[in-house]
Amino acid sequence: MARITVDGIPLEVEDGAMLLEALDDAGVLMRDVTIPHYCWHPKLSIDGSCRLCQVEIEGAPKLQIACNTPVEDGMVVHTENERVAAARAGVTEMLLVNHPLDCPICDQAGECKLQDYAFEYGALQSRTREPRRALAKNVDVGPTIVLDQERCILCRRCVRFCREVPGTGELVVRGRGDRSVIDTFPDEPLDNPYSMNVADLCPVGALTTKDFRFKIRVWFLEDVPGICTGCARGCNVYLGVADNKVQRYQPRRNDAVNDTWICDAGRLSYKEIGAADRLSTAMLRGDLGVLEVVGFRDALQAAADRLTRVRQARGASRIGVVASPHATNEDLFVLRRFCDALGVETAGVAVVRGDADDLLLHAEKAANAAGARAMGFEDAAAVCEKLRRGALDALLVAGHDLLDAAYLGGVDGLGDLDTVVWLDTHVSDLQRVADVVLPTRVAAERTGTYTNATGHVQRVTPAVEPAFDARAEGAVIAALGQALHLDGFEVGFDARETSRALSEGVPLFRGRSFDAVGDAGLPLEEEA
Amino acid sequence: MTTLYLTEHFASDDYQRLDGYKRQGGYEAAKRALGEMEPAAVIELLQAAGLQGRGGAGFSTGLKWSFMPEDSEGPKYLVCNADESEPGSFKDRILMERGPHQVLEGILIAAFAIGAEKTFLYIRGEYAEPARILEQAIEEAYAKKVLGKNVLGTGFRHDVVLQRGAGAYICGEETGLLESLEGKKGQPRKKPPYPAQHGAFGRPTTVNNVETFCHVPHIVNRGADWFRGIGTEKSPGSTLFGVSGHVVRPGLFELPLGTPLDEIVFEHAGGIHDGLRVKGVIPGGLSMPVLPANQLDVPMANESLRERGTMLGTGGVIVMDETTCMVRVACVVTYFFRDESCGQCTQCREGTGWMHKIVERIERGAGKPGDLELLLDVAAKMEGQTICAFSDAAAWPVQGLLRHFREDFEAHIREARCPFLESFDL
Repeated sequence: MARITVDGIPLEVEDGAMLLEALDDAGVLMRDVTIPHYCWHPKLSIDGSCRLCQVEIEGAPKLQIACNTPVEDGMVVHTENERVAAARAGVTEMLLVNHPLDCPICDQAGECKLQDYAFEYGALQSRTREPRRALAKNVDVGPTIVLDQERCILCRRCVRFCREVPGTGELVVRGRGDRSVIDTFPDEPLDNPYSMNVADLCPVGALTTKDFRFKIRVWFLEDVPGICTGCARGCNVYLGVADNKVQRYQPRRNDAVNDTWICDAGRLSYKEIGAADRLSTAMLRGDLGVLEVVGFRDALQAAADRLTRVRQARGASRIGVVASPHATNEDLFVLRRFCDALGVETAGVAVVRGDADDLLLHAEKAANAAGARAMGFEDAAAVCEKLRRGALDALLVAGHDLLDAAYLGGVDGLGDLDTVVWLDTHVSDLQRVADVVLPTRVAAERTGTYTNATGHVQRVTPAVEPAFDARAEGAVIAALGQALHLDGFEVGFDARETSRALSEGVPLFRGRSFDAVGDAGLPLEEEA
Repeated sequence: MTTLYLTEHFASDDYQRLDGYKRQGGYEAAKRALGEMEPAAVIELLQAAGLQGRGGAGFSTGLKWSFMPEDSEGPKYLVCNADESEPGSFKDRILMERGPHQVLEGILIAAFAIGAEKTFLYIRGEYAEPARILEQAIEEAYAKKVLGKNVLGTGFRHDVVLQRGAGAYICGEETGLLESLEGKKGQPRKKPPYPAQHGAFGRPTTVNNVETFCHVPHIVNRGADWFRGIGTEKSPGSTLFGVSGHVVRPGLFELPLGTPLDEIVFEHAGGIHDGLRVKGVIPGGLSMPVLPANQLDVPMANESLRERGTMLGTGGVIVMDETTCMVRVACVVTYFFRDESCGQCTQCREGTGWMHKIVERIERGAGKPGDLELLLDVAAKMEGQTICAFSDAAAWPVQGLLRHFREDFEAHIREARCPFLESFDL
């Protein structure tokens, strides 16, 4: 470690690291120490080209860029003196010389670093009389991104990202001098599974996603920390919420999980939250054989009655349970207890697998398969096997991953069961065979924790409220346990309480309660 | 002329060929250095001689060589910077065309001193003829075992690879050159790491200018004291002054450093054409601040030029007569730097363009009060704040022109037109 002084503040930072990085790692950058920057990004190579992060280092004749100056013990840094202020003002003025006066119509307005820094360091009045440079607007660089070349400040974050993260290198700087523009090679669009990250990286409004472009002004959004549930990586995101609707996902930095990236598929998975095919009503299959909308309590009671009937007639061993890998740890903990209390012998979790890569995309297309396994739910193959040979009369199934080709491949056979109780968030073919349908909440509507593929326990808090009567899976199971008069189900479900009970009851989750894991999450306790 | 050594035999046609070069004592210095001296002794000799790099920055050559790490595993590289792109400079071209083996001999000695087995000779794409001549010289050198596995029978191995650039001023900057050499867009690298730590292809690399190499065999042959006997105390040796512009006899002149500028202009280059008076002289290539007529007594050496607020640069002397519109000169200068800025650093990318627009407007007669202060402020904001010195190189000439010829600019603004009707075309 090196002891340095920044603006009179003594700090201990990593020796030899670049100053900006060291301050960032120490958690003081842009908090205790303000060094504005464009081209520097903690997860990309150093470019050193924007020249905004210049600071004065005692002993150095010229100002130095903090992004490319190694820390040395005893270094004395000034970030706020006149020289530095003049340099910042100079860079800011240069950047604004040709920048279009687009703020009123720019989609980045409100979260534009150029706007912020112009306000902070810019002149009150422009000194230019010259016509501004006219470059191309609305350049379609690929299926997900639109480029406005005029607004670009050539920080090259996007270029470095494409080269260094997905390794696809679609973006380049074409031309030189003030004719330099970001562009793609002819007929080689920006098209990789992580392409939309360039819009997050862009400090100005040059790169915007087609998905979010002109959707809503960002100042109407509330950023709620959460996780993407598209796969078992559990990438950290901010859910941009307005009007009780999730309008976008943006990556949230978590070095233990996703650095600062998310894949395009995960990013766009927010659309599932308010999708038209959400299961929005409890339903019960009536005497005519069709599902009829009923009240939640009626559906729940019907489910309890049907399961009781099977249990009494054939025994609890004839009831199978399929847990959802999309459920929270707390839901799964309750379900585990439910299975044990009811005497269920056949329970498992169905996990759909798909494409994976070396970066973030995980093969398991669910956020909490690891949590389910930690809660003792093995693969649902055993459930399927029993279903196929007619060894079950009732099935309590959460989610619809059981329909995947790796499991049942459809609903054939399920119709012969005496009872199918189905808990889910979205419509699926299970609707054809379910006797009782109970709508549940998605992660964005939940309080709880998830365990990702690497065993990192992370939490979610409600970002939106569903517009219909849907409940947490744990709440449904707890209510069902209550209706079945099972031991330990005398009280209802409270996610935080359950989380505490989970952390006390399951060794792997010791100290991993909702409150303890915080916004960054914690790895599972190592097995003794 | 007693001080001639770089160009002493350039009139001889066979000096281009290996045999002719050897007849004039060529490769004797390399034999001595490689066969009889230790690498450290060669570096010491160069430091004692005080040779300053002739590429423009004037850094001590021996000191630069000493930066090369001795204990690095794997290859070390030498790079010959033959990307002569500074407007007003054409010395390296002549050195390569007339004395290609002199260049190669300097390379061999330098490579031995720093322990490099390979030299990349990076030549600007527009230099087709020098490149052809160098290729021929390299081929000859391999054939006669001057290059290759056992250089001149000394056991030292050395290869030279000639690489032609694609035409960008910034590729003459050493790290921009390295990027281009590696097949990338020519843009300077941030430092640290310096080329001596992380140069071509990630290996320790020393980069020197063509002329710098050409001095080396002569220093090895005749010693440090001889070299220090030429030129000034702080700027020893001779150099090639390329004189262009409004002179009677433009050309290349090998003269001791410290030769007064007026001697170069009025004696060697024959004075100003058509009996006109000199108005200003750019002493060291387009990026150096101009000197007015009353300062031509300045000795052409780094230290004395620096006192006058300018620099020796590449020794490209550009002479302008009294009919010259200095606003138009500024227009040409800023156009060049705007066009050639690589666009990497904010101040350079935006500042060069901004300066050009202002100057061009003034030249058109649309200048406004305050423009000159703004121009100086923009130049100040560009100076000393970017990855490489290009931004300084763009700012300095504008600052120099305004320092010495402000009246020209003010006249344009005052009269709302260019008063120099006889000036050259844009």
